[in-house]
Amino acid sequence: MKRRQFLRTAAGTGLALGAQAGPFLEELYAFGETSNLSMVEARFYKKLPDREIECNLCPRNCRLGDKERGYCGVRENRDGTYYTLVYGKACSANVDPIEKKPFFHFLPGTTAFSIASAGCNVNCKFCQNWEISQVRPEQIRHVDLPPAQVAEAARRAGCASIAYTYSEPVVFYEYMYDAAVEGRRLGLRSAVVTAGHINSEPLRELLKVVDAVKVDLKAFRQDFYTHYVRGELKPVLDAIKTIAASKVWLEIVYLVIPSLNDDPAEIRDMARWIKTEAGPDVPVHFSRFQPMYLIKNLPPTPVSTLEKARAAALEEGLRYVYIGNVPGQQGENTTCPNCRRLLVERYAFDIRGNEIKDGRCPSCRTVIPGVWG
Amino acid sequence: MAKPKVVVVKARGVLNNSGDIDETRLLRMYERGIRALTGASSLAEGIGRIFAPADRVGIKINTIGGRKLSTRPEVALGLAGALKGAGVSEKSVLIWDRTNRELKDAGYSLSLGASGTKIYGTDTDGSGYDDELYARGNIGSLFASIQSRFATASVSLAILKDHGLAGVTAGMKNYFGAIHNPNKYHDAHCDPFVAEVFAAPQIKDRHRLTVLDAMVVQFHRGPSYHARWAAKSETLVFGLDPVATDAVGWRMIERLRGAQGLPSLTEDGREPRYLQSAESMGLGEADSAAIEVVEEEA
Repeated sequence: MKRRQFLRTAAGTGLALGAQAGPFLEELYAFGETSNLSMVEARFYKKLPDREIECNLCPRNCRLGDKERGYCGVRENRDGTYYTLVYGKACSANVDPIEKKPFFHFLPGTTAFSIASAGCNVNCKFCQNWEISQVRPEQIRHVDLPPAQVAEAARRAGCASIAYTYSEPVVFYEYMYDAAVEGRRLGLRSAVVTAGHINSEPLRELLKVVDAVKVDLKAFRQDFYTHYVRGELKPVLDAIKTIAASKVWLEIVYLVIPSLNDDPAEIRDMARWIKTEAGPDVPVHFSRFQPMYLIKNLPPTPVSTLEKARAAALEEGLRYVYIGNVPGQQGENTTCPNCRRLLVERYAFDIRGNEIKDGRCPSCRTVIPGVWG
Repeated sequence: MAKPKVVVVKARGVLNNSGDIDETRLLRMYERGIRALTGASSLAEGIGRIFAPADRVGIKINTIGGRKLSTRPEVALGLAGALKGAGVSEKSVLIWDRTNRELKDAGYSLSLGASGTKIYGTDTDGSGYDDELYARGNIGSLFASIQSRFATASVSLAILKDHGLAGVTAGMKNYFGAIHNPNKYHDAHCDPFVAEVFAAPQIKDRHRLTVLDAMVVQFHRGPSYHARWAAKSETLVFGLDPVATDAVGWRMIERLRGAQGLPSLTEDGREPRYLQSAESMGLGEADSAAIEVVEEEA
């Protein structure tokens, strides 16, 4: 897919626009500048001798000399002080159904004011939003949208929450954190959509100000993380455990890619681990892969593969297992794990019926875990 | 098969005590270097053996290190002058790097070059990156349109320095500045990423010449400038083989480190392994024993 074509078709990236590679040379009309970057001191880093720093936001722990940027491309050492370049710089801003994130047990039927900045601290070869996640902030257009304005815009749009999504919010941590604080002042909740590649201390701090986290667990094998994510599995699992042990709502998405992470044994290992370490009530979404970015040679995930994965996870004891990116599939719905009553009927991002009353099944009174209002 | 030749030209006094360049000596360095490299009898003839008058030449410099540790404007403009002397139109020469900010910080005066050499960054409006993603091996990147669409011939006019992750940054790694996401390729000592980026046709098919600006060499704690580990070397390194030229640059850094009692990059676990990968990909010669090094005084 060509870049412009991507920009036309990418769902959910809203304001995202790539750097315009327009007609060349003879049509140059002005010098561009890169000054429209924020210079807000970053959190979670150590100053080292000789103007070096070590970033401790994510497991990469990048050690950087003066003028260097981290792997994320959006945090820079300038003369021994580490700065975030994307504070208050939104490259995407949309009002989305919360189901699009997806969150199925968190404020269903509401909308989330969804923002992103450039950058990511992993490099998934199947990234759906590489146009904003795998670029530096100078390379895309962004708007000044400080945290207080994010909250105000969300309130005006009638959203129940602010979502930090599309790219990787860990790399715009300070922006996300402050927007969540501003949102709370206005009675808005915050939902984070992340790969979970974050160190423990910043995660624990973040969990104090947000209400829900969806972790994209890319696989349950380090080998996959090495080759297709360029990251580490263990810190992601640690993050899931930390979130599960907190009061913040957790959901997990697993994008099933044919031949790469769809081994039934891997799915079962993951399901058992989630049940043991995070609990059987954590919703797990098996999402359908579409050829994208650097993996275009594989077909979309067969629906039968998703159904088998869901069945395996249910057999292993997980109670809320969903199928994603397949509109109309029965696996989109929530049923009571006790009496099997249909509780929430969905079609893609729409809620067609929600029978949950006071967080319980109206038939058998089983508690359905989640944040329902 | 003849060994690839790398020419190391030293000119004592080319930098005065203030760090300014003696442009007469600099021109002599170019003459010695290009003549020795090509066997030509003059600078113009030598340049003419590498570039055609009809070429559009992109001179990729490295300006991330600020004024003290970037390709010097005099060195870049000296090469542009040599190209002009060989019949390449001034308007067809573009000195460039990633951003206009870094170019200005390094002392360059930006110019669209309506009447002379162009100097500007990829972030200039109307420039930018390709629409089409280049995806091969471990690389998924957009190339600067300067490299892929403007240039018919390309020079890596890089600063030579130690690099905490890559080991050495020189001519090949300089092309990281020609892609939109170099931050993604610093794992594993940049290996094999440096070689794989260079192997892309946008670079490999256009690259004609490497020149390493080793006037001041950061031999430790690079790529940032640290005065205590920066040596006044007053040297330019010329090569047609990109791998061999960088291999010679690496040895220069090792000698400077050794002279200061520092461990070698190999001992430090930072040898630039991407050179070996580049050799195995057929991009050039990494083995010092298989490289002809010609040393010149200018």
